[in-house]
Amino acid sequence: MTQLLRVEGLSKRFGGLAAVSNVTFSVENGEIFGIIGPNGAGKTTLFNVIAGYYRSSGGKIVFDGTDISNRSSDQIGRLGMARTFQAVHVFKTETVRENLRRAGVIGRLHSPFALFASSTRHRVVDEEEVAEFIGMRGLMDVVAGGLAYGFQKILGIGMAMMASPKLILMDEPAAGLNPSEKKEASLLVRRLHKERGMSILIVEHDMPLVMGICERILVVNQGKQIALGTPAEIRSDATVIDAYLGDSYEFA
Amino acid sequence: MKPIGFLYIMLVMLACVPWIIDSRYIFHIATMITIMAPMALSLGLMLKLGQLSIAQPALMGIGAYTAALLATKLGAPTLAALLCGGVMAALVALVIGPVFLRIKGVYFVLLTYAFGEVVYLTFQEWTTLTGGMSGLYGIPKLSLFGFRLTLAQHYYVLGLMFTLLCYFGIRAIEKSNVGAIITALNEDEMLSRALGSNAIAWRVAAFTLSALIAGISGGIYANYIGFLSPDPFGFRASVDLIVINTIGGTGSILGALLGAILVVPLPELLREAQQYRLLIYGICLVIFLVFVRNGLVSLRWPWGRKS
Repeated sequence: MTQLLRVEGLSKRFGGLAAVSNVTFSVENGEIFGIIGPNGAGKTTLFNVIAGYYRSSGGKIVFDGTDISNRSSDQIGRLGMARTFQAVHVFKTETVRENLRRAGVIGRLHSPFALFASSTRHRVVDEEEVAEFIGMRGLMDVVAGGLAYGFQKILGIGMAMMASPKLILMDEPAAGLNPSEKKEASLLVRRLHKERGMSILIVEHDMPLVMGICERILVVNQGKQIALGTPAEIRSDATVIDAYLGDSYEFA
Repeated sequence: MKPIGFLYIMLVMLACVPWIIDSRYIFHIATMITIMAPMALSLGLMLKLGQLSIAQPALMGIGAYTAALLATKLGAPTLAALLCGGVMAALVALVIGPVFLRIKGVYFVLLTYAFGEVVYLTFQEWTTLTGGMSGLYGIPKLSLFGFRLTLAQHYYVLGLMFTLLCYFGIRAIEKSNVGAIITALNEDEMLSRALGSNAIAWRVAAFTLSALIAGISGGIYANYIGFLSPDPFGFRASVDLIVINTIGGTGSILGALLGAILVVPLPELLREAQQYRLLIYGICLVIFLVFVRNGLVSLRWPWGRKS
């Protein structure tokens, strides 16, 4: 397995507050990797630094051999890192089909210059096929804004797939979902990994979900990484239990 | 019949009216409509980006002065000068775009306003080149492949052709993948960028196209009128373009066209009441904003709902 994403000693300070300090981990090609931590632990900041929304205060991020530490979100998107959003981001007034189609078009035509380049780098992804995969084939003509929240989130995953990325970053895919929707979402993420071999990085505070689907997990608390390992290792890690989970926490 | 088809037939009939009445004056108004309609479309394109640009008349002026100066001072062929005017305006947009288009909302409006003022003052103060407020005279009539366009009719046909080119061109873009990308950027920039969309590059491309249209309109205007002063390229012209787009239907290409047809003749119709012109403008705008918020294109036409 080759390293797809490497984060080295990453820090992010807001004024005097160290939201993320000295975090180091890597995501292997084809791996499904989780970052967990309680609210305010710095997960989202870490996510936003990796995805290019914040500039890091220190450290290095290498994605697929390219240093992306100071790249913007769209440059990172062009390198093949797609993301989904914690709050739903879809084109609300358009149908599911148009949402998927648009995501594919945007993924292929990054800038006006792409119109003139004979780009064979990006294969055309079939929206019907993606819709089938995410289980929304029957909803193709429904306006996205009218879908149930859970479906809108799943559509977001479908749209990320349309850009044929190398890695999908998922920002709290289970946030705001009811238990059955959560099950659907985690099943989809697992299938995306198993059937498509997609590399996935999940930031989530829903512990059972992450424990259930991730191969390796990074635990952050108060901006610092306190553990890194397989779900089994995390479960039995004394620091994690003491510092963050509490001994009464029920694991799934 | 589809209502939109009916509307097109109406527009074609309307376009023929000047020949039926056959007066110089009507031809003049019709020609001004065909010069301002592409301007309205060029602002409409910017509104599609979600950016209200006050710089469009200044870009038109850059096109007009470039075409006029190349033809008068350097004796360039008029058609080449006209096209150079368009290219010059596009180049200016290409240079300022990457800076301006990073800025959004009211700040963008102010920035383009300031740019417009700078350009206007340049036209006014660089008297050795532009003749300043006393103007630039003796701009030769346009010559198209040996045919000299001397009459208003000629410029009307030219303007009509350019308007149609802009209208169908922008509509084709709107319906293409590029249109989807630009709409997507306007609707959800964060999502578009996450998918890899180079927001600035797309916006600059659209701004450059809008400037090319404005510049060529300016060149046609310069050749048609034969005289240039800074006046038509000031802030008032921007207000007119905004009024046209608002009355027609903001963000609608057809709306910009309908708005131009309705608004451009207004000052002529109100010639008798010149001092009330702004007042009537204002009242029209208020009525439209209150009752027809989405403009003419949103109205229910007598023959059915507009699709």
